[in-house]
Amino acid sequence: MKVRRLRTLMVREVRATLRDPFTVISLIAVPLVALLAFSSILATNVEHMRLGVHDASRSALSRRLLSDVAASGAFDPSPYATREALEAALVAGEISAALVLPPDLQDALAQRAGAAPPEVQVLYDGAETVLAGNADAFLRSILAASGARISVRELSSRATRLGELRSPAARAGVDVVTQALFNPQLLGRPFMVAGTFGFVLSFVTVLITAVSIVNERLSGTFDQLQLTPATTVEILLGKLLPLGAVFSLDVLLMVVVAGLVLGVWPAGSVLFFLLVATVYVSMSLSLGLIFSATSATAAEAVQKTVLFSVPLVQLSGFAFPIRNMPMPVQWLAELLPATHFIRVARAIYLRGAGPFELWSELLFLGAFGAALIALAVRTLERRT
Amino acid sequence: MERLRHFATNVLAMAYREGSVMRHDKAFIAAVAVQPIVMLLLFGGALSNEPANVPWAVLDQSQSAGARRLVEEIGATGYFLAPQRVASYEDGRALLARGAAVALVVIPHDFQRDTFRSRPQIQLLLDGADPLTAARIGGTIGQVARKFDPDLRSVAARSADRPAVANGSAGLQTRPRFWFNPTLRDRNFFLAALGGMLLTNLCFSVSSIGLVGERESGTYEATLALPTSPLEIVLGKLLPYVGVCYVVLVIAIVGAGTLFGVWPKGSWLAIGVLTLPFVFASLSVGVLISTLVHTSAQAVFLTVFVILPSVVLSGVMFPYQLMPHGVRAIGAILPLRWYQIGLRSLVLRGGDFGDVWVPLVALCLQFTVLMALVRWRMKPRLG
Repeated sequence: MKVRRLRTLMVREVRATLRDPFTVISLIAVPLVALLAFSSILATNVEHMRLGVHDASRSALSRRLLSDVAASGAFDPSPYATREALEAALVAGEISAALVLPPDLQDALAQRAGAAPPEVQVLYDGAETVLAGNADAFLRSILAASGARISVRELSSRATRLGELRSPAARAGVDVVTQALFNPQLLGRPFMVAGTFGFVLSFVTVLITAVSIVNERLSGTFDQLQLTPATTVEILLGKLLPLGAVFSLDVLLMVVVAGLVLGVWPAGSVLFFLLVATVYVSMSLSLGLIFSATSATAAEAVQKTVLFSVPLVQLSGFAFPIRNMPMPVQWLAELLPATHFIRVARAIYLRGAGPFELWSELLFLGAFGAALIALAVRTLERRT
Repeated sequence: MERLRHFATNVLAMAYREGSVMRHDKAFIAAVAVQPIVMLLLFGGALSNEPANVPWAVLDQSQSAGARRLVEEIGATGYFLAPQRVASYEDGRALLARGAAVALVVIPHDFQRDTFRSRPQIQLLLDGADPLTAARIGGTIGQVARKFDPDLRSVAARSADRPAVANGSAGLQTRPRFWFNPTLRDRNFFLAALGGMLLTNLCFSVSSIGLVGERESGTYEATLALPTSPLEIVLGKLLPYVGVCYVVLVIAIVGAGTLFGVWPKGSWLAIGVLTLPFVFASLSVGVLISTLVHTSAQAVFLTVFVILPSVVLSGVMFPYQLMPHGVRAIGAILPLRWYQIGLRSLVLRGGDFGDVWVPLVALCLQFTVLMALVRWRMKPRLG
């Protein structure tokens, strides 16, 4: 292997890549579009969600409750005169949640001693599972807080009247002081941004590598290069090294855009993250090489990559946590390098983890990378 | 009239040609058959937002009977693995930092004493690195704690004279009910719109790749030499795929029904009618893609990166209602957005034509606009 020949090949590759507008656009546009699209899709809260309300009580109490609900900003209550109208709106999908206040709400709270606490019914459109789940958590805490405030006021006025200092009812229940570490507001954005790196590096880069190598073979330039003194390994390294460098620059671009546009910077070391990403890029390159070696046309290589990558990305925990999957699927997911890279990316981005916390994941990535590169080299040897 | 008949026969002739080509394309038939099954298993059996097997840790400083019962009750919700006991706050935080636990429950020294004096408190630390799980788990533990009665003796006393105060101190009892999907299963949410995902994949790719392939192999030019217009060629070429789409849709619906018990509750006829403008609109998107690229590899590439935002932003996998307004507006351009709204209403809520007229009108509008764009881009051009 001669460094000078390799350099010539690399210069050629960089020029060829930059001259093709389609590749350049996909290298810049696809990661950025993915970043912007994915970053906004996961939310743990609700904002200004339409909440149908049927207030059969029409009391001072129900108005106080509703104004508490409206004040949270999570829900916009809109009144419905009858319960039937409310249910019809739910079926039609006009509203995704509904609150039914019973006619005896005020009375039930007034004659509190020992009676059942007043019951408020909440209906959700279970067809929208995430929406209903988020709304339920929010509405429950709002109602609990508001109800507690109201009942404390009622109780304290009663307590002074009756001379009773502590209601037995107030003794049940445990207060929970919750604190979310690493992401106090439980925003979906940093979670998805960190995952998008895994998506782009397991998919887009593999695709571009595979297509670029197959095209070279198809257009006959590969054979031409083999007539030159350059060896096969030199030719391929001359292709892969510049591509790897371009992909690593892509990662840097994504880090900067995520930081400046979306306000998501890694909590850990940027340098460490770039280093891990570069190692992962080398795995994508080997995978692309393997796909290209086994495909006759560029379209076939693309199709193969897509068919392979889509379930891979789905199972990697990119959008849905792996531990929610059935056990056999979890084992499968653990075998995918994308799973481990996404885990590492999230640990660095959100928890600010360093090499010591992540050594087992890094070890797996390294071993898998070595195996892939060995496989790619063997595929090549068989071909040449 | 004569011109219309001419148009119809040309389109049908093209459709016949495309149909006989398709019949011999084994790879295509395999892809059509395999994809619905893979997606069914993936979305029916594997992917879910519902927390499961959640690792958690407990720092029990109180070592009291009440604390142990609280831990047991939290574990009994079914979301959790067996709790890991930690000896110190630092150990617990280290578990969270390593991702080895999602939640750390801290039960303070005076937990038992507080149950007699005032309201006891526990601390809950969550791993915000996984926000959706953290939010759900936080909600679940909060709910268990609110209902928890630390004073075991009072349970007996209370059940004797005041049966209903168990849910007590909040002052208000909320009774949530999830309609159409009582256990709030993600599977139903995904499977209801599975047809939308499959048809988007199919329509975008067959039309874009098929047309570019024809241009690449030179058969498009050959067909142009016949007395057919480009529009007739495109329409005729796409017509057989409408049939394929319905086959895929039936596979998806029957598969979801037999394997996972999610049968459409609403009108089958309405599903069929709603699908038609959606399929046409999606095929037109593919045709538009084909006019933007030169090689089949580019066509596949671009198609994949149009399918992705479609699936992500349309609301098939994530609720579009929770996205920021700008993103939501972009998603409204996609045919899949309206189709999934209609499909969910028909499959899960038992809707009928009256409930899906908005998506139906939106899809027809989109198809008209896309057709105009296609006509504008499809001028006969060679080379």
